[in-house]
Amino acid sequence: MERVDCIVVGGGLAGLAAAYGLAAEGLEVMVLERGNYAGAKNVTGGRLYMDPIRALYPELWEEAPFERAVARESITMMGDGAHTTVEVASDRFAGAQPQSYTVLRARFDQWFADKAAEKGAMIVPNMKVDELLREGGGDGRPGRVIGIRAGGDEIGADVTIVAEGVLGMLASAAGLRAEPAARDSALGFKEVIELPAGVIEDRWRLNEGEGAAHLFMGTVTRGMLGGGFVYTNKESISVGVVVGMAAMLQQAEPVESYKLLDEFKELPQIAPLVKGGTVAEYSAHAIAEGGIARVPKLFGDGYLLAGDAAGLSLNALVTVRGMDFAIASGYHAARAVATAKKAGDTSVAGLARYERALRESFVLKDLETSRAIPRIVENPRLFMHYPRAVSKLAESVFTIGAQPSPRLAKTVWKGARRDFLSLATLKDLWSLRKM
Amino acid sequence: MSLDIVVCVKTNPDAQMIRIKNREPVLEAIPYKVGDLEKNALEAALQLRDAAGGGTIRALTVVEGDRKIRETIKEALAMGADEAVIVADPALAGADQAGIAAALAAAVAKIGACDVLLFGEGSTDNYSGQVGARVAELLGWPQIGYAKKLALAGGGIEAERSMDEMIETLAAPLPVAVTVVSEINEPRPISLMNILKAGKKPVTEWTLADLGLDAVGAQKRIVSNLAEEQDRKHVLFAGAVDEQVDAFVNALVKEGVVGR
Repeated sequence: MERVDCIVVGGGLAGLAAAYGLAAEGLEVMVLERGNYAGAKNVTGGRLYMDPIRALYPELWEEAPFERAVARESITMMGDGAHTTVEVASDRFAGAQPQSYTVLRARFDQWFADKAAEKGAMIVPNMKVDELLREGGGDGRPGRVIGIRAGGDEIGADVTIVAEGVLGMLASAAGLRAEPAARDSALGFKEVIELPAGVIEDRWRLNEGEGAAHLFMGTVTRGMLGGGFVYTNKESISVGVVVGMAAMLQQAEPVESYKLLDEFKELPQIAPLVKGGTVAEYSAHAIAEGGIARVPKLFGDGYLLAGDAAGLSLNALVTVRGMDFAIASGYHAARAVATAKKAGDTSVAGLARYERALRESFVLKDLETSRAIPRIVENPRLFMHYPRAVSKLAESVFTIGAQPSPRLAKTVWKGARRDFLSLATLKDLWSLRKM
Repeated sequence: MSLDIVVCVKTNPDAQMIRIKNREPVLEAIPYKVGDLEKNALEAALQLRDAAGGGTIRALTVVEGDRKIRETIKEALAMGADEAVIVADPALAGADQAGIAAALAAAVAKIGACDVLLFGEGSTDNYSGQVGARVAELLGWPQIGYAKKLALAGGGIEAERSMDEMIETLAAPLPVAVTVVSEINEPRPISLMNILKAGKKPVTEWTLADLGLDAVGAQKRIVSNLAEEQDRKHVLFAGAVDEQVDAFVNALVKEGVVGR
């Protein structure tokens, strides 16, 4: 069997970050990507938070093909025919070192793949891995992962980094993780709509090069767990809807989920933003939302799990993260493998430093902090009752009718008593303390 | 017998990935790959070498400046070429077919060991079909175009040419330049094992100066490269699914697209 030091399954951010680091250490590394090119199968909303990963591979980020530095964050709660938006801007969001950038994965991942290739990594597109090869298993133990089988060939490696993405089919088949459950998964639909840069800056009131991130919750998902999003790229916008799979399955009527995106785009507050644009890309993707409770064991004899394949993503309602986790897990995977190789021990004991490093980093710490979120957000009132109630109350405050108006305080009190002063709200508030 | 073969390989933007914006192709973030007919040429080279019982196959390409050619040319090495030669020079930017041919001919001369020089009949992107013939002329070699079958015969090569309504059989001594059409063979799929081996095969890089050339000036330049404009009718059918399908089929029949 032909051998390399390390095989990376999947040319997404986790896999490429691992390959880049390993190649830089002089190891022979091969990345197998089933798409036409790195990034072909990847979908992000989305944006990349930089501060968590800035110190990892600092030489890379200066020239990375980011879209726009996010200068403004907005969240819109959508009710029936009324909505309320909270908008937050800060000089520090898009200052000298912007905290987050919008990205387009087709462009970003290809650039990252080129960087890894420059370091000496072998990037092989159009190559679907069929199986993780193991030996010495039995008695319920998976055995050592010794390489992969792809396109009829078997290639051996000291370590296989499984960064195959959210569905984790290879890892599941090899018994390295559980199959994803509907309860812990969401489905995202996204269109990239091209608009001239000037139009984007006018419509979103942005300075040149700056961007906006806008999340929507409430009627956009018909009250199901999830929401809508709009991110501005350089010369396009990313518009999409994410819905919890379990919430969708619980609906009495089957939900044609892709229609949610069409409905979103036709809303009176979205239609003028996308007007005149050309749809350049359509994509759909599963999202892991189970949090740390669903993160499998991240290492074993001869293998590591990284990125979405390891369940490393976090939807905390106002912030949605995954790509920074992917890059950090790839970085730590590369360091762990390089150290293990030098020590001549790529067994469970030699690779354990990978999970230790992630535990000490923001990746597992942030996921641990947010342990309760996946269960909190199963509360349908968050996506149905509150967006409606907030919009209704705000609408009443700004309404002048034909009849004499009551005192403002009375209007607010009436609305609050109607929709917010209840045992259910107290219980919801109590649950939110763990967010 | 030992047969040394050089296959000229052009790497093209992946045509399936190109979008048209304002009638122009968007080439940003488009991966490059070995052209389809060049793969036929590589396959022909592998079969000829097997028939001869030995020899070296070199993939030769020219590229301007900084394009990511090293990754792309590995495709040719993974298919079975033994070595790759890359002529990379910023001065090749904007070169026309004459300039590319001059660089290729000089490179083939410098390689020296070449009994058969193979090309695709035309490139996947521009398909001018000129370069093979120009290189043959510069080298003073016989050239066979539209080859759909190649065999070694009598110390030279015998080729069937695909003409519209006939097949012409030609014989030529070595060295010879041949441009092939897609009918000639089915290029072999690239295996992971061969990709792995390709990474270890020698790649030589030359500049124009290494070939004794200064600039390869262009006598032609591309003024515009526009996609054909297509008027879409934008007809939407409403109603129940059955009604929509009926209306759709009727419209297709009316347009003469299907049935009568």
